[in-house]
Amino acid sequence: MTQWNMYSRGDKIFAMTCAILVGMFTAATLYPFIYIAAVSFSSGFAATAGKVVLTPIDFTVEAYRFILGDPRFWNSYKNTFIYTIGGTAMSLVLIIPAAYALSRPQLVGRRFWNLFIAFTMWFNAGMIPFFLNMRDLGLLDSMFGIIIGFAVNAFNIILLRNFFESIPRSFEEAARMDGANEFQVLWKVFVPLAKPAIATITLFCIVSRWNGFFWAMVLLQSEEKIPLQVFLRHTIANLSDTEEFAMTALDASYSAETITAAIIVCSILPVLIVYPFIQRYFEKGILLGGVKE
Amino acid sequence: MSGVKLDRVVKTYGAVQVVHGIDLHIKPKEFVVLVGPSGCGKSTTLRMIAGLEEISGGTIAIDGRVVNRVAPKDRDVAMVFQNYALYPHLSVAENIAFGLRIRRTPREEIRRSVAEVAEILGLTQYLERRPADLSGGQRQRVAMGRAIVRHPKVFLFDEPLSNLDAKLRTQMRAEIRRLHNRLGVTSIYVTHDQVEAMTLADRIVVMNGGRIEQIGTPMELFTNPANLFVAGFIGSPPMNQLRGRVVRDADGPAVMIRDIRVRLPRDVSVEDSQEVLLGVRPEHVLLAARSNATPVPISLDLVEPLGSEALLHAEIHGQPFVIKAPTQGDVGRFSGLDMIHLPAEELKVFDAETGRSLITHQVSGG
Ligand SMILES: Nc1ncnc2c1ncn2[C@@H]1O[C@H](COP(=O)(O)OP(=O)(O)OP(=O)(O)O)[C@@H](O)[C@H]1O
Ligand SMILES: [Mg+2]
Repeated sequence: MTQWNMYSRGDKIFAMTCAILVGMFTAATLYPFIYIAAVSFSSGFAATAGKVVLTPIDFTVEAYRFILGDPRFWNSYKNTFIYTIGGTAMSLVLIIPAAYALSRPQLVGRRFWNLFIAFTMWFNAGMIPFFLNMRDLGLLDSMFGIIIGFAVNAFNIILLRNFFESIPRSFEEAARMDGANEFQVLWKVFVPLAKPAIATITLFCIVSRWNGFFWAMVLLQSEEKIPLQVFLRHTIANLSDTEEFAMTALDASYSAETITAAIIVCSILPVLIVYPFIQRYFEKGILLGGVKE
Repeated sequence: MSGVKLDRVVKTYGAVQVVHGIDLHIKPKEFVVLVGPSGCGKSTTLRMIAGLEEISGGTIAIDGRVVNRVAPKDRDVAMVFQNYALYPHLSVAENIAFGLRIRRTPREEIRRSVAEVAEILGLTQYLERRPADLSGGQRQRVAMGRAIVRHPKVFLFDEPLSNLDAKLRTQMRAEIRRLHNRLGVTSIYVTHDQVEAMTLADRIVVMNGGRIEQIGTPMELFTNPANLFVAGFIGSPPMNQLRGRVVRDADGPAVMIRDIRVRLPRDVSVEDSQEVLLGVRPEHVLLAARSNATPVPISLDLVEPLGSEALLHAEIHGQPFVIKAPTQGDVGRFSGLDMIHLPAEELKVFDAETGRSLITHQVSGG
């Protein structure tokens, strides 16, 4: 490690400024999490009165008791898992071969296909045509519709294609000399080599699926198919205008705020748990040592 | 064992032809080295044999079978790449086994083959490591292991040693040759290093600009270069070239370099007053007088001692001339040197226009 004393005065000021800025940024990012967690464990009265700042006030788990006792919560939670896992798997199954094909110089009409796909990043049909399209395909109120409808995204394809393109050609050639066919070249060589890129895409997919809200709300009607985010919205809407709830709120053990916060905490938890496992794959320099240029 | 035959092989990229109809017959078990300057088409030729590049014209046959339309995996050839192309996510053992796995070789047989290859290459203790944790020489060996484990008909090497430092290169060069002596697999080896070519090859193919300049054993190329290009390419330092004009008289043929008259060997086909280049290998220059050697005055300007030998940089009528002479432990012996002797039987003569050798006593293949 470099000695602090070895830095010049200017370097020290720079390093300290960086540290302060990073610290502020971290605090700004972290605080909402802490606040939400604190609210979820506070009494409804304290939360509604805006007394919670950093730690729970009048500690209680009533909000959790309320939502965990609701079978609709568990059902939507399960749905979110299905959409996340199914959707991410579907994305990878479609994106990996597409990106590989687009990265191969021998692909006929490669420029056209690349442009064709990149085009959708800037220009798309828009909401209403997309909705009509889904309707005409019979994918309204369909779990499969949610999974397939949003599985492919041009940005991810291009990201992975670029990574595949950066893999030296000699890997493909060596594998082909070793007897691999196109599929084996892809699955046994390129996919393992592209792990960091695939992990990135996987994470993008998981997060966007997990947080997926708008289209699920628009496309799904049946209560038993909705994901957690939509359930969260329903709950908030219900809580705020139920008269009965206004009564219980006086009792103040939970409120719309604390229940919202509790649901948010429940929905964030799995992401926090999964992230470290995926993060392992963001290893730098996985190509190191394979080739020497 | 299998030979490789190239007949009028052509490669074009779009409108550009880069290999112009190569004929090359490689015998079974032969170690052939393709050598030539950068961009002369060595790699392209090798890759056409491997099946990694399409053949634009002519035919390539391996073991008597024309393979123009055969996929690389079905040609039964193995290739060692310049950058090794080891799979970084696999261990050494898995790297070596990759080809066998793909071909669904039984597990037990794979284990045995990998162990055997590792033994041959001295990799046994590294089998569990990843390529990233190996030295350059070890990686090079893994790349070789991946090729030999499959017992292919032909080995192809594309500058396999160019990423190693000089010492390791010398060592691996000897190992490759030893391996060839042991396995006897037909090998085609690309390099632009003429020392590598000389030391490894049974036969050398000198290429230039997409054509073959000459094919022959290392000694044939050294002693009887077919043209100026080969003469300049094989041998280090390269052959000296002195421009002059032929005179023929009662004493036999000679070359006039201005006022210096250099006697030529008898078996040259030259015409009177033909413009020629006189070729003299630096190591063939004599410092002492001898019969049948022409004395030539020089002006010495630099002595580079290499140990047992020294390179003397000199000029003959303004034309640069390099001499390689034994030091006998004392570089001082060259000071004041102003006369050298050119032995007639070692001199080469090339047509100044075409660059062709005008020596007639031996015509080497091309
Ligand atoms: N894909 C390609 N498209 C167009 N021209 C190419 C292509 N690949 C190679 N060439 C050209 O073909 C010629 C021969 O290339 P090649 O790689 O065979 O040279 P080389 O003898 O192996 O040289 P080096 O010693 O530098 O590796 C070069 O002039 C090169 O520019
Ligand atoms: Mg090359």
